[in-house]
Amino acid sequence: MALTRHGAGPDRDGETGEVGALPVPAPVPAPVPAPVPLSDDDVTAPASASTMAVLDDEHAIVRGLWRGIDVFRCLALAYAAWSAWERHEQIAHLLGAVAILAILAGWTLAVTLWPRRTVRAYAIELAIGCSAILATRLVDDPDVILAGAKTIPSIWPTAAVIGFAVLRGWRGGLAAASLVAACSFIEVVEPTANTVSNSIFGLLLGGCIGYCVDLARSSHAALAEAMRLDAARAERDRLARTVHDGVLQTLAFINRRASDLGGETARLGAMAGEQERILRTLVSQTDLAEVGRAVSGDADLRGLLRHVEGAGVQLVSPADAVLLPRRVADEVVAAVEAALENVRRHAGADARAWVLLDDDGDEIAVTIRDSGQGVPAGRLEEAVGQGRLGVSSSILGRLADLGGTASIVSGPAGGTTVELRIPNHRTTRRTNRHHGRRTDIGSGTATGAPTPGRGGS
Amino acid sequence: MTQQEDAMRRRGSSTLPEHIRVVVADDHPMWRDAVARDLADAGFEVLATADDGRSAVARTRATAPDVLVLDLNLPGLTGAQVCAALAAAGVPTRILILSASGDQQDVLDAVKAGALGYLVKSAGREEFLAAVRATAAGEPVFTAGLAGLVLGEFRRVKAAGGGTPERPVPELTERETEILKYVATGMGYKEIAATLFLSHRTVQNHVQNIFGKLQMHNRVELVRFAMERGLDLADPT
Repeated sequence: MALTRHGAGPDRDGETGEVGALPVPAPVPAPVPAPVPLSDDDVTAPASASTMAVLDDEHAIVRGLWRGIDVFRCLALAYAAWSAWERHEQIAHLLGAVAILAILAGWTLAVTLWPRRTVRAYAIELAIGCSAILATRLVDDPDVILAGAKTIPSIWPTAAVIGFAVLRGWRGGLAAASLVAACSFIEVVEPTANTVSNSIFGLLLGGCIGYCVDLARSSHAALAEAMRLDAARAERDRLARTVHDGVLQTLAFINRRASDLGGETARLGAMAGEQERILRTLVSQTDLAEVGRAVSGDADLRGLLRHVEGAGVQLVSPADAVLLPRRVADEVVAAVEAALENVRRHAGADARAWVLLDDDGDEIAVTIRDSGQGVPAGRLEEAVGQGRLGVSSSILGRLADLGGTASIVSGPAGGTTVELRIPNHRTTRRTNRHHGRRTDIGSGTATGAPTPGRGGS
Repeated sequence: MTQQEDAMRRRGSSTLPEHIRVVVADDHPMWRDAVARDLADAGFEVLATADDGRSAVARTRATAPDVLVLDLNLPGLTGAQVCAALAAAGVPTRILILSASGDQQDVLDAVKAGALGYLVKSAGREEFLAAVRATAAGEPVFTAGLAGLVLGEFRRVKAAGGGTPERPVPELTERETEILKYVATGMGYKEIAATLFLSHRTVQNHVQNIFGKLQMHNRVELVRFAMERGLDLADPT
């Protein structure tokens, strides 16, 4: 449909007939997409533009409610006029009633033509509604009111109550409804059954609609956040493709050729190799940690442990996310860091280390193995006997706090293996509180309860 | 130099090094030439090179080499698609993935589709040559990183409830899981054999069984995928 605003286009009648006299808020203009760097396969550009549109847009439910309020206000005015006409013989000061209705009609017309969704506008509307309720006292005889006659504005003030519910959530809705109820009670002096039930109805309406709006807003915020993350990831993927196709290949090539040449060149090549490794780690792992946190509040151990990878340390992980609650994951990361610090200090200069993440459904196991000298038999016993386990106790203590276990084993071929086991909260949530202190140390070389201290040795 | 590389070289040298015929597929000319030259210098016969997925399949089918050294991110077809196409065509060539990409899902897909191993391009020349020899001998080139991915894949399939009752997906035995975890923490086969009091050969057999089961997963998944979409499996292409 052509959006011709000037001149009578052929489809103009159909356009106005569709919505009748009710104004529709002007559509929010779609923001101009931010300039995106040109590339051959620029698939991310439309995605980011639509993301922006959603981010800037008011939620559809909220927009619908505003439109509903506009319609409701007009209908409520018609109803109030009709109610007054029905009982015009009862009304003591008919002119006063007409004046009240005229004020309501004036405001209704004004906000219908120039909609304002502000607290100020709705505060004015609420004040008009409440004044109209109280003014009923002036135009009606007290015995008519006591007999249960309707107020002059009737249900008209409810529009303001819903307006506050949309603006300020359930608190706003309840507050506005309370004010209207209070005015009704003052107006009748002696509450009738109608007054009570209408007030309860108003409070329910304000509270429920406000609550729905709160929910809609928060879910909209979550959706917008998810879309933002998605767009960020798409952009990252686009960069990653470029990096894979060019930079990584070149760095790896330099590294390979330079190591053949030897000497100073080999050192340069090693630098290129180091950069290649860092860059590959950076671009290859899609940031599931962030998305995971946004969706479930969990953190992906793979993302949190990325930083431990280095020249001598390799992180070995599955293709899927290894999720743990954020607090638990942070403790596990600290334990892994402690274990690697142990490797760095004791395993020897050219020792390498591997960190394996394994989620078998019931437990998440993190295995840290090094190719170093291993722990001489008796050394651990000695340390336990002297009440100092240093880094080891920091590992054992942390895992015990998490309801998990830790074991330290020295293999027959040298090297030390530290295995951390953490119950998987998704499958063992109900039985989570068994504090498994099955903390064994050493492959038959030493057994001891973990000391509570976490200090260094 | 890790134990694994040592193990790989020993495995490699135990097979016949001479006259292993290789096809190299890589879209980066610099890399393709360097890899081909390294292979030629070390006594391998480079039958052909290819710079995209389709020509990699066509030239491998035409020359039937012992080993295809395959870049994961070729234009045209993905690494997994190349592996699947060669398997469907019944080409006996063994495939070694060599890639700058660290994309774990791509690597896993290619291995499930039949590749025998995976090396990052930053691996040293000796490590690479040893890997080609091992691949030619039909031995999986099992780096720690790949073992972690394979372990994760078995966990995922198990958590997803396995296959259909008629076609259960194979699961790992406890011993196989144990070996996989050892490989994933950087242990060589010899070291694993010493730790578990097994022979080197037995460890190798276990590793080959693990690969067989993984590729079985792929077939079960393909069958399920085909049945869900009503595809006819009689035509492998």
